[in-house]
Amino acid sequence: MIADAAAKLGIDVPVYCYHEALGPLGACRMCLVQVEKMPKLATACTTAVSEGMVVHTRGPAVDKGRKGVLEFLLINHPLDCPVCDKGGECFLQDYTFQYGPPAGRFEEPKIQKVKDGPINEFILVDQERCVLCQRCVRFMGEYVGEPQLLLEGRGVETVVTTVDHEPATSQFSGNVIDLCPVGALLSVPYHHKARPWNIEREESVCTLCPVGCTTLATGRDGHIVRIEGRPVPDRSWGWLCDRGRFGFDFAVNPSRLITSYLEGREEAAARTTRQVGQWLRDAVSQHGGNSVAFVAGGLHSTEEAYQLNRFAREVVGTERLAVSRDVPGYLPRGLNGTFADIDDADAVVLIGTDPYESVPVVHLRLRDRARALPSLKLMGVAPRSLSRETLRVDTLVTHVGQEAAVLAAALSDAARGHAVLAELVSNGLGDLSGIDGEALAELGSTLVNSEHLTVLWDGLEADVEPVLVALQSVRGDKPTRVLPTWGPSNWRGFERAGFDARIESLTGILEDARDGKLQMLVLWGADLLREYPDQELVRQAYARVPVLVAESLFPPAGHESFKAILPQAGPGEVYGTYVNMEARLQVAMPSVQPPGQARPTKTYVTAWARAMEKPFVLQEDWDPYDDNSGDLVPEESVPREVRPIAPASSAPDGYELITGVLVIENGIPSDFLKPRVPQYPGRISPSDADRLGIRNQAVIKLSREGREMTAAVAVDPAMTPGRIYMPLGLADAPVNALGTGAVNVTVIEEVHSA
Amino acid sequence: MLEGLKAIAKGMGTTLKALSAPRDTYPYPEKRREYSPRFRGKHMLGKDEEGHELCVGCGLCEAVCPAHAIRVVAAEAPADKPVSWTNRYSIDYEVDLIRCIFCGMCEEACPTNAVRLTPFNELAAYDRESMIADKQELLHPAIRK
Ligand code: SF4
Ligand code: SF4
Ligand code: SF4
Ligand code: SF4
Ligand code: FES
Repeated sequence: MIADAAAKLGIDVPVYCYHEALGPLGACRMCLVQVEKMPKLATACTTAVSEGMVVHTRGPAVDKGRKGVLEFLLINHPLDCPVCDKGGECFLQDYTFQYGPPAGRFEEPKIQKVKDGPINEFILVDQERCVLCQRCVRFMGEYVGEPQLLLEGRGVETVVTTVDHEPATSQFSGNVIDLCPVGALLSVPYHHKARPWNIEREESVCTLCPVGCTTLATGRDGHIVRIEGRPVPDRSWGWLCDRGRFGFDFAVNPSRLITSYLEGREEAAARTTRQVGQWLRDAVSQHGGNSVAFVAGGLHSTEEAYQLNRFAREVVGTERLAVSRDVPGYLPRGLNGTFADIDDADAVVLIGTDPYESVPVVHLRLRDRARALPSLKLMGVAPRSLSRETLRVDTLVTHVGQEAAVLAAALSDAARGHAVLAELVSNGLGDLSGIDGEALAELGSTLVNSEHLTVLWDGLEADVEPVLVALQSVRGDKPTRVLPTWGPSNWRGFERAGFDARIESLTGILEDARDGKLQMLVLWGADLLREYPDQELVRQAYARVPVLVAESLFPPAGHESFKAILPQAGPGEVYGTYVNMEARLQVAMPSVQPPGQARPTKTYVTAWARAMEKPFVLQEDWDPYDDNSGDLVPEESVPREVRPIAPASSAPDGYELITGVLVIENGIPSDFLKPRVPQYPGRISPSDADRLGIRNQAVIKLSREGREMTAAVAVDPAMTPGRIYMPLGLADAPVNALGTGAVNVTVIEEVHSA
Repeated sequence: MLEGLKAIAKGMGTTLKALSAPRDTYPYPEKRREYSPRFRGKHMLGKDEEGHELCVGCGLCEAVCPAHAIRVVAAEAPADKPVSWTNRYSIDYEVDLIRCIFCGMCEEACPTNAVRLTPFNELAAYDRESMIADKQELLHPAIRK
């Protein structure tokens, strides 16, 4: 298109409706240019470039055309700029200034429409300011696939509104604020807050899930007041999900830690830090460095993890460093793909993960690919159907803990006799009854025969790792790339900084703590009671370890057990590099100061080194980037040997508890998002609900071997019978209290929806 | 001798003439000069006939001020308690009169004619703090003593 060509050459062609991701429409006529040998002005966004074409982007004819378009747009446009949040960054202002007529000739009263009406909890619509470019409508309908916005009325009465005037529920709704070229769609948290000239806009990265979307953080008077998407040329469109866009208020949440606690009481930061230093010194001098263990987690940056790692190894002298993990899986760096592998894939296999819920913006990327390549093979292996309105996925529904065996079976079928497979399934495949043979064959041929295979994996089943390694060696040179969808969002960065990201080392630390072999356990942003898959082990470890210290954004679960709790400086408050699920390093600049006593890691570790009277110099300029790998964590070769997987156990009687990541509920509180967080996050199939006598929603009790938990569930027709789904890591219903698998269910209370 | 007397008489003559001539100075503060209404002194914030503030917190005066003397914080007024004539208003408005160079750009930029420079120019104070005029002060402009 002419518009793209001009943009590439740095020539300004004004556009409203055109957006590369959405494709041409030609609705606004703002982009008029003159093409030689064409009788009339042409729209640059719908005219394809061809050999020998001569285009004039300025000139009397073009200027007259643009002037006319703008005069029409302004006929019913209110004189709102002083009270409009877009003022100063509005394309209608800019283009009018640049190309527009000096005055309008229209003298009749302007048509009045809805002002500041709601689209949903986060978005306001001012219909008078809309230029009817339809970007918002097309984004929601065509791009996201959730058509919740529409144009209503005709002619000058046309307005943007929601379907049936119900609030838009899509988790991608916030993107329309960035898309709207004028001040018609506005952010509620940012409403009447600031102006482009009195804010600090810093390049940042969303750390709330492993996607690590690129953002711009707007700081005003020491607070972050807005998060916008930041497009990166040739890499990302700058979409965000509503979690990332509106969930920034965790920094000012009332439950945020801003003071230090020493043995349960509020205490001055200096004293608490000194006391922790004293404990460290005692533990090291009496029991040796390895009696102290460090677990990194939460929203820490790679640099912070590096500083902690240096302190732990050099000053404390311990090798016990682990990453907080909520799922047992691990992905070798050599298999880790990038988002470009989604754009190039002819087959995508989702193992356990529902991208819409666990890595929202990747879901958009998948949809983008599926629209570009209708023949894209999209398959899933999970204990529930991963298909949605917006993305059709052929899911092979397994029982809990069968994913690895099912994948191995499919692979052995399709690549019979390959050497690694014999090793992989040397313990047998176990009981796979009930798995449809045809679907298995299809999965096998997709895995083996596709040209470019991209896998998304939720890490809930550790045995999938050897299957992926085997898959890679079966496929040989054809790309086999995997994207891990688990948290903590920066786990690869912690690994880069020197922490062991495999769950085994974390388990080892916890077992030693339980057995009394550890003197001190320092949790760096990790909330193990909520995260670690076996809550009981954490409980025992917490009870046994003499000194338990946490540094965190929010009080960790079981905070009574902690001897000291230190407040953490969060993302946006410190400079930091974060590594996302592509193993890509991305820098986030600070836009505000840490609140209260919250301090960056460096402050704590240098203070402790002083208390321990050991020399400790932190290199200022450690740089997680590697000279040869660009902004990716350096490649490693894929391990060759595979370990045999455990055979699948037979389907349990009764209900199975299954789980997964739900980003909106990932434990970081946000007042803005509260209305969106489901009150009944659990899910149950209609037939099971019938059997249990539940009509819509209920609070149920799940129990196994004496342990129990309550869960608020809602009926979901997409659920497979026999399964009960609960998101991972809920503070009030932690799945890790039970673990997944067979459970007994009793209904405590049935709740009818209003 | 005569020459000397002549000189004294001439000098006295000049002095006497000057004594009765109209004066250029004022016995300030007992007497004050009348300024043109366009004189650019201290700022004020205007209100409309119904008593609503004219300022909508658009921040244009802040943006245009070459001395960065103005700070505006806008907010949304509760639906039932309007402050300005629309739902946006300035919750905080400050002019740092030490920084201000009285150029009048803010006055010129204001789309609602809210901020105006009054002829009031008696700006002395004992500390810097009191040279920052807050919103209440600006809404109730000082009148000449
Ligand atoms: S949309 Fe743009 S032109 Fe219209 S009122 Fe807002 S800032 Fe002014
Ligand atoms: S609301 Fe904005 S994005 Fe939507 S049609 Fe109107 S101007 Fe375009
Ligand atoms: S998809 Fe993840 S990283 Fe992107 S905005 Fe949403 S929560 Fe943040
Ligand atoms: S005084 Fe005028 S220019 Fe300044 S913020 Fe108020 S309305 Fe805007
Ligand atoms: S941008 Fe070309 S018609 Fe709208």
